Amino acid sequence: MNDKSPSLVKIALLSIAAAAFIIFLFLIPDIVKLVVIAALLSYILDPLANLLESRGMSRTKATVTIFLGIVMLLVIFYLVLLPPLFEQIKSLQSGLNPEQTGAMVSRLENVLVENLSFIGVKDLDLAGKLQGSMAHAGEWMFSHVLDAASLITSMILIPFIVFFLMKDGREFKRAFVGIMPNRYFEFSLYLLYKLNAQVGNFLRGQFIDAAIVGLLAVLALWLIGIKYFFLIGLFTGIANLIPYFGPIAGAALAIIVSVLQTGGFEMALYVILAFTVIKLLDDAVVQPVVVAKSVDMNPLTVLLVILVGGKLFGVLGMLLSVPIAGFIKVVVRESIINYRKYRAV
Amino acid sequence: MSKVWENIFKLRRKQTDEIDNILVKIPIFQDLNSRELNIIKRILHKREYKAKENIFNEGDVGLGMYIIVRGCVRIICDQENQLLAELCEGDFFGELALLDEAPRSATAVAKTPCVLLCFFKPELLDLLERNPKLGSRILFKLAWTIGERLKSTNEQLRALSGPDRQNESKS
Repeated sequence: MNDKSPSLVKIALLSIAAAAFIIFLFLIPDIVKLVVIAALLSYILDPLANLLESRGMSRTKATVTIFLGIVMLLVIFYLVLLPPLFEQIKSLQSGLNPEQTGAMVSRLENVLVENLSFIGVKDLDLAGKLQGSMAHAGEWMFSHVLDAASLITSMILIPFIVFFLMKDGREFKRAFVGIMPNRYFEFSLYLLYKLNAQVGNFLRGQFIDAAIVGLLAVLALWLIGIKYFFLIGLFTGIANLIPYFGPIAGAALAIIVSVLQTGGFEMALYVILAFTVIKLLDDAVVQPVVVAKSVDMNPLTVLLVILVGGKLFGVLGMLLSVPIAGFIKVVVRESIINYRKYRAV
Repeated sequence: MSKVWENIFKLRRKQTDEIDNILVKIPIFQDLNSRELNIIKRILHKREYKAKENIFNEGDVGLGMYIIVRGCVRIICDQENQLLAELCEGDFFGELALLDEAPRSATAVAKTPCVLLCFFKPELLDLLERNPKLGSRILFKLAWTIGERLKSTNEQLRALSGPDRQNESKS
């Protein structure tokens, strides 16, 4: 009993400390959000810094070089891709003016009533419903997404945190392992080593997968001739981070735009075909190559995770909730597997 | 005030010299220049153990080697409770774990209060990625060290089996 009591006290104290830490994190969601995004980005960029180091650069120089590269890419993005993007946003805004939108929606309503009258589709009042939802969407966009102050703070703070995580990440890890008691020191290092490989591969895989799917979607929608192809492709790529719902959301958006654009379903068929091919390519070629180990989650878990992410951290929380849940799942799974392996005998 | 700083720097220099002197005696790091040695020192973990404290247990997954800076370590076989070796300042153990993740074949216990430097596989792999030239030199020396140990084990086995063979041939 004497042997067991101190360990029980320790476990209780550790549990209380862990609970207090988690509550503390919930009290500062904005900072947690910034650190999580910065950590994800530094994980994705880490192999690049290692590659530059292997070419003889110091870690600091390698990190600075990567940041300069990113700035250059952003400048190119600003000069080359931003004008068409703004044009699409502008044309989207003009496309949403009451007269044009009304005409497009009534055209869509006619098509739906003509084709689906046999299942009782008669008076839809889509224009009225759309107007109401747009008013709410506008309010919601301004309160959730377009918070300029927090956007500027994030744009300054995230690169700042990423820089130091990349430059001094090893020292942080050493400091963390350094405070471990001797008994758990080697195991904690072993666990960090295994997690680093698994989580790093998972996150980089997800990022590359999203980028490839986004590019394929932009290309396919441009070839089909859909308006706002760049915006929809971008959305499809980001939404691809969410399993099950992401690809459907991207396709649904493209189908709606194609129907509004042409007033018929002909172009929508091409969109469905293109998204099916992209999904097949993603499942058969891209994912097996770039996503080292998939984190299987059933659709209900994904839905709950997205809802919780949205409730706690807004739109960004919804987008990043599945990769973060995947990250937590990998951490827990690998911790259990490796603890069993470590203490196998 | 300046004396305080002088003393701090002296203490730090003394500790650095102590570690340098130990490291250059370890075959794996023997041929490294001072710049390379500094890179290695930055990736080593320094740990302090009390007397009778376990460093690792038989059956744990091995992650790397330990270098004794101060104190003595006993290597014990748990099942037979047999003392396999007693290692002191400048000795190292567990280097095979740098290559293989097999469970530790014995338990290491600090005989006296110890200061150890730990060189682990994740850091070696990281070094190979970031500084392939230095990493491959260390790997080469590691292979050489393990080869030397294998040769000496073979010789010990031959010496042990020598009298038995003579007895067998006589009978």
